[in-house]
Amino acid sequence: MINISELLEEIKASPFREITVRTPHTGRVTFAGLAQGQEVLGPQGQWKERPGTLLATLERERNPKPICATEKGVIDRIYNELEGQFVEAGTALMVIRHMLTRDEVEYLILKKALHLFLAPERAKYYFTPEVDKKIRAADAHSVVVRDGMELMIMSRMKREVPLHYSGPEGVIYAVYFKYNENIDAGAPLIGVCPQDQLPAIQDVIMRVRTEWTEK
Amino acid sequence: MLNLQDLYAMPLESHKVLVANRGEIAMRIMRACRKLGVAFTAIYTEEDAASGHVRLARETGGEKSLYRVSSYHDANELMSVADEAGCTAVHPGYGFFAEDFRFARRVMKRDRTMIFIGPSWKIIRELGDKINTKRLARSLGVPTVPGSDRPIYDEMEAERIARSVFEFQEQQGIRRPLVLVKASAGGGGMGIEEVYDIDVFRSVYRRIRNYALRQFKDEGVLIEQRITDFNHLEVQVVSDRTGRNPVHFGTRNCSIQSTGLQKRVEVAPGFAPGPITYSFDAAKVLTDIVDYSLTMARKVGYDNVGTWEWIVTRKGDPFLMEVNTRIQVENGVSACISRIRKDGRVIDDVDLLAEQVRIGLGQPLGYTQDDISFDGVGVEYRLIAEDPDNRFTPWVGRIERFQWKPQPWLTMLTHVPTDEPYEIPTEFDPNLALAIIWGKDLAEARARGLSFLDDLRLEGRNNAGEELKSNVNFLRANTERILRF
Amino acid sequence: MRRVRNKMDNNIEKRVQGLTDRLTYARDIFAGKHEEDIRLLEEKLAVFVERARRGELADPYNDVLGLEELFAFVEKRLENAVTPMDKVRIVRHPQRICLRDILENVYDNFTEVGGQDEHSLDPSMLIARAVITRRRGKKTYTQSVMVIGQEKGHGAEFRNGGSVKPWGNAKALHYMNVAETEGIPIHTYIFTPGSYPIEDYPGAAQQIARNIYGMAGLRVPIVAVISEGGSGGAEAIGLADKRLMLSHGYYSVISPEGAAAIEGRLKAGQRATPELIEHCAGSLKITAQDNLAFGYIDRIVQEPPLGARPYHFDFFRSLRQEVLRATDEVVLSHRKWPGFRGLAVARVRNPEANLDEMHTRWGLSASAKDSMVEHRQQKFLRLSREAAIDNRPFMAKNMAALQDWLSEPWMHVKYDFFRKHQRKISTFMEEMGNEVEMVKNRLLSPWYKMTRRLPGRQTEDKAQELTALSTWTDDSRRSRWNYLSPRYKIDRTLTCPNSESYGCLDLWGPDLFAEFAGVCSHCGHHFPMEPEWYVKNVFDVESVYEFNGEIEAGNPLAFPGFEERIAEAQKKNNTKSGCMTFEARIDGIKMVVAMLMGTFRGGSVGAAEGYKFVEAAQRAQKKRYPFLAYVHGTAGIRIQEGTNGVIQMPRCTVAVRRYVESGGLYMVLYDTNSFAGPVASFLGCSPYQFAVRSSNIGFAGPGVIKETTGMDIPPKYHRSYHALSRGHIQGIWDRRQIRANLKQALLTIGGRNLYYR
Repeated sequence: MINISELLEEIKASPFREITVRTPHTGRVTFAGLAQGQEVLGPQGQWKERPGTLLATLERERNPKPICATEKGVIDRIYNELEGQFVEAGTALMVIRHMLTRDEVEYLILKKALHLFLAPERAKYYFTPEVDKKIRAADAHSVVVRDGMELMIMSRMKREVPLHYSGPEGVIYAVYFKYNENIDAGAPLIGVCPQDQLPAIQDVIMRVRTEWTEK
Repeated sequence: MLNLQDLYAMPLESHKVLVANRGEIAMRIMRACRKLGVAFTAIYTEEDAASGHVRLARETGGEKSLYRVSSYHDANELMSVADEAGCTAVHPGYGFFAEDFRFARRVMKRDRTMIFIGPSWKIIRELGDKINTKRLARSLGVPTVPGSDRPIYDEMEAERIARSVFEFQEQQGIRRPLVLVKASAGGGGMGIEEVYDIDVFRSVYRRIRNYALRQFKDEGVLIEQRITDFNHLEVQVVSDRTGRNPVHFGTRNCSIQSTGLQKRVEVAPGFAPGPITYSFDAAKVLTDIVDYSLTMARKVGYDNVGTWEWIVTRKGDPFLMEVNTRIQVENGVSACISRIRKDGRVIDDVDLLAEQVRIGLGQPLGYTQDDISFDGVGVEYRLIAEDPDNRFTPWVGRIERFQWKPQPWLTMLTHVPTDEPYEIPTEFDPNLALAIIWGKDLAEARARGLSFLDDLRLEGRNNAGEELKSNVNFLRANTERILRF
Repeated sequence: MRRVRNKMDNNIEKRVQGLTDRLTYARDIFAGKHEEDIRLLEEKLAVFVERARRGELADPYNDVLGLEELFAFVEKRLENAVTPMDKVRIVRHPQRICLRDILENVYDNFTEVGGQDEHSLDPSMLIARAVITRRRGKKTYTQSVMVIGQEKGHGAEFRNGGSVKPWGNAKALHYMNVAETEGIPIHTYIFTPGSYPIEDYPGAAQQIARNIYGMAGLRVPIVAVISEGGSGGAEAIGLADKRLMLSHGYYSVISPEGAAAIEGRLKAGQRATPELIEHCAGSLKITAQDNLAFGYIDRIVQEPPLGARPYHFDFFRSLRQEVLRATDEVVLSHRKWPGFRGLAVARVRNPEANLDEMHTRWGLSASAKDSMVEHRQQKFLRLSREAAIDNRPFMAKNMAALQDWLSEPWMHVKYDFFRKHQRKISTFMEEMGNEVEMVKNRLLSPWYKMTRRLPGRQTEDKAQELTALSTWTDDSRRSRWNYLSPRYKIDRTLTCPNSESYGCLDLWGPDLFAEFAGVCSHCGHHFPMEPEWYVKNVFDVESVYEFNGEIEAGNPLAFPGFEERIAEAQKKNNTKSGCMTFEARIDGIKMVVAMLMGTFRGGSVGAAEGYKFVEAAQRAQKKRYPFLAYVHGTAGIRIQEGTNGVIQMPRCTVAVRRYVESGGLYMVLYDTNSFAGPVASFLGCSPYQFAVRSSNIGFAGPGVIKETTGMDIPPKYHRSYHALSRGHIQGIWDRRQIRANLKQALLTIGGRNLYYR
């Protein structure tokens, strides 16, 4: 089993994450008038149904699109010189210093505690339709995976190949990939918790809950 | 604001073309533009930053000639960059938006009109619809695959047609007749099944019909003869914006394909009636399909480059398959055997891409069919990192060495850098290079092809340390088969 | 801390407590008004208490009597100054009479059914079997009645303020059906600020719709008494033969606060000023007097000054008389023997009559029940006609009536007689045809055999058929839309709301609003389209014939500033009201369509819209066509029309029920957003409700739910997919397939004769 206390100390030494806000596509940028040092909020509400603080607007083909903060944090750097400019896709607009939340710490520690199923190749990954349906209907915790089970579809070079799960039987505890995102070979796809280790994992979560204070 | 006619009237030097593609074809378009003195703007994605086309754009493009976009598939990105860079035309290359009539329509109909370098959108739409193409062909007496030319909705009628198709094949002396049932609204291999016996037809028909209803909300079904033993031929057509004077640049034979029915070797011309004996009059077949293709092009007023795809059965019957309303990968192999007599001199380095850009921007063709002549045999190899022994599965990894011996008869088209290692991006087709070889006759072309493959150095490793897999051996083995039926 | 030993006796103490309550009550209901009068009472009471405690009063009984008289005097004076908003505060006050007070004081005995106190499926809906004993001479008669109503329980929390959950309304309907089986009258008491707006099965809106539909045909007398008539919640038990209203009650489309929030265009969390609320309460015309003038109630039951409280025993007595009178009247007016009937009704109607000393049996014969239900339905159909502006030329109106009169018998012959016999004739003809075919085949078979032996011609034919161009007339794959949204002319892109989760690329407007029919080509999200899109693209070209286009939405309450807003909506939409009614065809199948347009003041329903809906249902019934309610969008009842709008709920439901019961096929198709009153009545009662993708269906929007229940609801709570899962609708259609789906539904649900049984 892993040493949670040590891990927690390690994270406490540097409890930040820098988030670079990039343009999702080309267009003309208008900043929302924020300045360095200002605090921004991530999505709000019980279901995160209200978007975070408006950071900038990116207009392309007469369609102004808001760019909102995805996490709570403080603006560390802001590239105001881009105001009114046409920018390429993926241009950095600002950097937000984000204090790790309890959930994120949990995520970091779980990544060490769970059995990780890794991407065999750089590709886009999707769950098979049956699994996807289950996850959408309830959540990932409801899906039990077994060795050899057809779990995902690996899409690369315009070809889709089924991907079979290998590893201990258990429930999917964490999902590490997003829709339409390329995953590097060796990066974790899902974190699986074997049934008999569930109490131990829950213990880890409890400890994070009690020992990590959010600021 | 300029309208389309104003744009067509502009001199070439005032144009700027958005190269809406990547890799090898993007490089060919850029070179064609430079040859014509037309400015260009290229695009790339983060994944593709190491591609040769990015380097070429950086080295040879002028101001505002390279932009990073989120995706090649997002038309909005292309329009946005085109406006920012001041482009007057868009070249779609092949794949992506090349045969998307909506994209072509948008380029033309938006407030800031641009030229779509390709046929006009109505032609793309008309010939992009297979039923429509088939009916158009039949209305002009152009042969098509026997079967229905409209969606069938009635079960009794469907069965009657299927029965006719079986009987028809029996009369033709086909030993194992097959009938193809496919959803008329489908495409890309979905909702297609073969029937070998009329007794199982009904169940297959119902399955396809229900599938079509579920998938496409249209229960129309097409019923055709399934032809199994054939050669795949093409006719290269070129026409300017008047749409009245189409010419052809000969035929190609693309019968050497992967198991996934993707082309691996293309040869021009389509048959070699001299050195090889065929069971039918090959010369007449070539003339016929060229004539048929031009008849159709004239009828629809075809106004850019395009390819008429044919299948030719062992008995020598040609059937029109479809029309590709775009420049094709293998256009270079037709170009290398062609010569044009223009303004009293002979052009022997024909560049169909440059021709496409030139006439696409509104220039008149400037020559007729009589000015075009053919000489020799061209062979194109598609070099791909894949495993031919394992259903042509793409190989992913890093190319460490890529070298070949330059020859006057060889043209290499590649976006893979030869002076540094290259990671194959996983987003796209795994094509590495096109090698176009010319010989004065079939024997010479074959010999040169083999010597090229022998000299080629292609090495690399993947994450697991395994060696690169390529189709070089497959190409070598198939060189013997070239142009044989 | 008592400085002096209390010298008051218990009796005085009790009466003082009563006076203190009355004082609090008066202060509460006037909310800061009439400060002086209230201070006067307060001081007098304080002085009395002080002195009584010290034992300084010689005759405290006399003094307390005097004090009570003073209270009564002041209350009577203040009574004249009661405003509509004060009445709202009166009915909401915990001291106001509740249903249990009525059960205890108006009826002679009762047993609560369907739950008891807080141990109930829904404690805010109280149901009891009650008994009334009457005496004529020496004989006593006991009569049973089903009492149904909301219980506020003097503010008890578990009663939820009389806000009934969907299953509470279902319980009410269940016991109404029990009463029908038992043949006893139903007395409903409406004490509700509105229904609890949650969508859990059976669903707030859908259940109210079922209740209204059920009550429209219930074959027992129904008497409703309104104290607090809050919109949909009130209608759930309000469709009655006689509707009485307490003089200090209110009956309204929306709470004055809600109206003020809409009028003031307030965002969630903001509060309207008291002045605006007071203004809205006045403009909405919510009092008993207003509603009597409109004709939406039949009689007012006078309450004591400042409203009835549990100690007003006189009031209970008069309420008892009124409900007995109302029940007797309903029963008597449908008895046979016209002579006796007139006499009996007159006797009962006499205000001096003591109904406890008269007896009327409440049973009815089958034909009397028919007549009662017919009478109830006609009564509701007649309501609110004056509240819409009927601009149809005089001749047209009367020609329509004349035509009806002439064509009715013909329609009967055509559909009821001819159809039946026609089927027999055609069956006979079919059989004859089969015989002829057999004979023909036998005679011609040698000839067929001969021709089959000529192979040459046949193979040629075959080859010809398989390789030559065939004829194909109905290629409908291209230029499918007869109408394109004008937005297609704008060169811009739009972001699909699902792009975050499905990765949809931005859509180009000219593609989206023309070829794509407003549907995201990646995820299938439906962007809203104009009503014209449906009219022109769903039905056969040139088959749409609009009728009653002249009936115009008005401003029946003279709501301040509303005329201009209606005029603006009329100009914007180029129609006179938010409901377009037309006849149309789909592949030749004729039908009548009523379309609520979301672009006309949110598709709200007022008197004109209801009028047209009723007319359309009747036209469909007369012509024996299927009837489709296409809801492009509706935000609910038009609040600026007050009860003129609310009454459309029972009215239109009655019209729909009559249509369905005569054998018609009534279908509803929801698009964009459909909420509140209409869904909770004439739309929700259809057995065949479908929705267009990406639409939202429900009772109240998220803001209202948050305000009334304090609950945050998840996003997409009202999405059609949820409505489908909850069992509120039958299916979800893609916009591009509406035409095909409608045709299929007509053929499969309508059956071979299409619509009429």
